[in-house]
Amino acid sequence: MLSAQERAQVAQVWDLIAGHEAPFGAELLVRLFTVFPTTKTYFGHLGSCLDEVALLNHGQRMLMAVGVAVQYMDCLRAALAPLATMHAQMLRVDPANFALLSHCFQVVLASHLQDEFTVEMHAAWDKFLAEVAEVMSEQYR
Amino acid sequence: MVHLTAEEKALVTGLWGKVKVDEFGGEALGRLLVVYPWTQRFFDSFGDLSSADAVMGNPKVKAHGAKVLQSMGDGIKNLDNLKGTFSKLSELHCDKLHVDPENFRLLGNVLVCVLARHFGKDFTPAAQAAFQKVVVGVANALAAKYH
Repeated sequence: MLSAQERAQVAQVWDLIAGHEAPFGAELLVRLFTVFPTTKTYFGHLGSCLDEVALLNHGQRMLMAVGVAVQYMDCLRAALAPLATMHAQMLRVDPANFALLSHCFQVVLASHLQDEFTVEMHAAWDKFLAEVAEVMSEQYR
Repeated sequence: MVHLTAEEKALVTGLWGKVKVDEFGGEALGRLLVVYPWTQRFFDSFGDLSSADAVMGNPKVKAHGAKVLQSMGDGIKNLDNLKGTFSKLSELHCDKLHVDPENFRLLGNVLVCVLARHFGKDFTPAAQAAFQKVVVGVANALAAKYH
């Protein structure tokens, strides 16, 4: 459970990302595929040719979903239920990959925010993304 | 063993040359203790770790972080023989310090975030990939003598 202060940290960062979901999302995916090539197995054409338009589109979709999670931090389970079901039953992404995505997300934040990526912000985002990952994994079995 | 391409080695040594080892080391260890507070279990003798500010300002955390990153630097100079380089440290962490190797992986990832924070755009996806290989290699080398 995130404290009030942690929620504020998460929301504060999101204010900086909102409106720029596509480039942030694309960078997230490029880092994920470059650093953890096994993750490309879930992304068909996206993973193999790093097409810029496709990365921007898919990156935007992913970051918009994170935006939903930020907006509904108090009821993550309900807010992410459709996505959780999709990942469990249709996409069947091994849940271990959510931790890889979380790490790359934090690297994106760190490299863009630099001095503003304080230790408190780092802790809040790691915790928040871990909660998102947990909710996303709950329907697997 | 860690296998870096010539390009990756160049990326790593190039960026490492700009790393302020003592400063980044203290920051990495501090962030580990704050983001993953259970890691504080190994540092009871370090004094005040009661808040993020206390941790980040703690002189023992800074000193130990510096030591840890200096060792990492030794690893970067010896990427072809990480097991040999970290053999004694591996025995120490198993037999005397009783540190779960999972902690090496956590610290490795925190270090990557610290590098990203300091280098910004220069910490490209390719640079990140190269450093991830290094931190995984070091973590594995540190775990190699566990029994």
